[in-house]
Amino acid sequence: MSSNLLTGIRAVEACEVWAGPMGGSLLGDLGAEVVKVESFPRSSMTRPLAAAAGAQGSVLSQGADGPAYEISGIHHLANRNKRNIAVDVRSEGGTAVMHRLIAQADVFFEGYSAGTMERLGFGWERVREINPRVVMVSMPGWGVEGPYQGYVTLGSGLDAGAGHASIRGYPDRDPSYIPGIFHSDATGALALVTAVVAGLRRREQSGEGCFIDMSQIEVLTWQLPGVFAEWTMNQRRPQRLGNVDPHIVPHGCYRAAGDDSWVVIAAETDRQWAGLAALIGHARWAKDGDPRASVPGRLRAREEIDSAIATFTATAPADEIADRVQEAGAIAAPTVDSAGLLGSPQLNAREWFNTVEHRYTGSRILNGFLWTTTEHPPSWDRACGLVGEHNDEVLVELGYSGDEIAALAEKGVIGDRYELPSP
Amino acid sequence: MDQPFEGLRVVEAGGTVAVAAATKTFSDFGADVLKVEPLDGGVMRRMVPFPDDRPHIDRGGFHLAFDTGKRSIALDLATPSGREVLTALAANADLLVLELPPEVAEAVLETSGDVPGRASTVTISPHGFDGPFRERIENDMSMFAWSTRMHRHAVEGSEPLRYGPQVPSAQVGATAAAAGSAALWRKTEHGERADIQIAGVEALAGNVDSWFVIWSMAGVNLPRGDGPSKMAYPAGNYACADGYVLFAAQGEPFFTRLCAGIGHPELTEDPRFMDEARAMHWDDFMTFLGPWLGARTRNEVFTELQRFGVMVAPVLEAPDVLTDPQAVARGSFVEVDQPGAGTTTLAGPPFRLDDAWQARPAPQLGEHTADVLDELGYSRDEQIALFRAGVI
Repeated sequence: MSSNLLTGIRAVEACEVWAGPMGGSLLGDLGAEVVKVESFPRSSMTRPLAAAAGAQGSVLSQGADGPAYEISGIHHLANRNKRNIAVDVRSEGGTAVMHRLIAQADVFFEGYSAGTMERLGFGWERVREINPRVVMVSMPGWGVEGPYQGYVTLGSGLDAGAGHASIRGYPDRDPSYIPGIFHSDATGALALVTAVVAGLRRREQSGEGCFIDMSQIEVLTWQLPGVFAEWTMNQRRPQRLGNVDPHIVPHGCYRAAGDDSWVVIAAETDRQWAGLAALIGHARWAKDGDPRASVPGRLRAREEIDSAIATFTATAPADEIADRVQEAGAIAAPTVDSAGLLGSPQLNAREWFNTVEHRYTGSRILNGFLWTTTEHPPSWDRACGLVGEHNDEVLVELGYSGDEIAALAEKGVIGDRYELPSP
Repeated sequence: MDQPFEGLRVVEAGGTVAVAAATKTFSDFGADVLKVEPLDGGVMRRMVPFPDDRPHIDRGGFHLAFDTGKRSIALDLATPSGREVLTALAANADLLVLELPPEVAEAVLETSGDVPGRASTVTISPHGFDGPFRERIENDMSMFAWSTRMHRHAVEGSEPLRYGPQVPSAQVGATAAAAGSAALWRKTEHGERADIQIAGVEALAGNVDSWFVIWSMAGVNLPRGDGPSKMAYPAGNYACADGYVLFAAQGEPFFTRLCAGIGHPELTEDPRFMDEARAMHWDDFMTFLGPWLGARTRNEVFTELQRFGVMVAPVLEAPDVLTDPQAVARGSFVEVDQPGAGTTTLAGPPFRLDDAWQARPAPQLGEHTADVLDELGYSRDEQIALFRAGVI
């Protein structure tokens, strides 16, 4: 790994879907040595065994030649910079592999529903016997302790349970139109890194390993004072406001020229407003004496101002509108889709995107990293791991002989492919 | 037992949501966090809500939540004098987290670069300091718009929507906390410092729930929703007796579990709901699911179906979250006695590490300026001079 901030830290990942695997990728980006223990012989939710009917089928990489479970975009996006072993941890031989893995690890993190690891024999009490110096992080949706132990969820459920979903969405449509999002997977992945470092520091302080109970919903909750403070301070239930800010005019998303093209625009100060007003042909609206020249006056003229901006934005594509508003000194951006991101002059000037080679998907343009560093910047050293791609390599490091590894494969304890359902 | 970040000194500068969110976790887990703020308090202290809707620089909801346990120094970093003080702070710190206009940030980094043993740095900006967008001013919504995630957060063909207030900025802060913690580890374990740069758009577009990788591989934008899907169901928000519940139970084994959970296990053998035929019979399925949901509250649906292993969750509003049985049992919210603002309710620890973590009151603007300047060795006359010059 090029990045060296966590060099020397060995981490074992037992997670599926997004939050845990993305957290593992971030540890890898930072230079840790991460081994992902892939679910086997059951494939994880992000590794479909066949192309699904309808829209879900299109998560598979176009033009790729390989099994569906190796070319699924929803899996690739959260898995890089780690090695992959596929082990049936329910089998006797698999249990022994897990023992050896945990025994040599600095960090063991898992994202199954609370209680699963205990049933598999890898709860904290057992793990600390195996390795008294390991830092273990369990990151179920609602946390380890509490009445919701064993409950299952994706990030969309946590967003709903944390109160965030209730304030997103269109003010004039019923809540069934609130789009589902997986934001807590992003915050959970980030929090894992911070929790791991906190755990490693605790180990330095105490000389012993430690257990961290990380509830993904609590990780999201602390980032939502905008949801809770309205209630705790003023006993008001926060409402769905769409893109409106009650105290800033203009602040919205406007239709631009072209198909489904939108641009966000805001002027938070009189100075920003003066530039914007002149651009949209209403310079007078920012002159002393005009009611719209002041912040309170603009709050009263919200509809008139929004209407004038919408007239202006309809005249050109979103990126062109955003450029002109920015040049005029106000805030604006196109609401880009993925193609728009790839076309961003800024991201291209910064050479943010990565071209990544993978055995089955071939050469693809993927995103860049969340951060860079002046020296030893993160690099895409390992593409998304194939199922069991590093079985031999990792097991040899754990002390298994070639014959033993062959025997494990023979018994189906380890593997490098999933059995497909009969057609 | 010590707090895990005990003994570390972290300096933040900028007064933004992202820097405050970045250092909060360090502060709550024991680090000494010095909050260097603009003389006017910066943008985050001005964010709503305020008790009784009275704006107050020390009582905003974001400030009280994100500045817990920090010490505040009010300093004009646009001046060489202000930057000298910050440089002295950074020379005695382990980590400096800053979000400042590009030219000010570069001046700070350049000045503090000459100091031996100086802090590692995390520099936050919307777009990074090179490229054509370097000087662009963004807010939470426009940064989010550039990340692709606002585009996805829409009903097909309708206006894309922002998330809750400052939610993307808080994520950028959490990104800085993650990278910053790794830099702290490198510095304390190996004695090597690091300089990290975070562009907010990249932090948002590069993490999960950006669908860029899926698009790049599949070659198409997956369709966005238009209410609950009638093709792959149940997924999305469904009405029940006292509100809505969110399902993610369209796939197996969850659909089979759901049928069992609502007392109709036979539906999994019903040709209307098997395999691809299911996409044609949403209305038929709702004759079973709709009445079952209508007879139950959110929490009843949630607990009854979770017993069957169904992916379902209640759609809660803020007051419901505070009294949610899991949140109450875990103590997910804590009360902090905040001088001047009374008792405030804040979210508890982001992760549980024995009994570490503490939430202490947030500082008043500039509350610790004199104490900190004393610690740095500025004489009283020098402090008066800085004050008269409008630097502190």
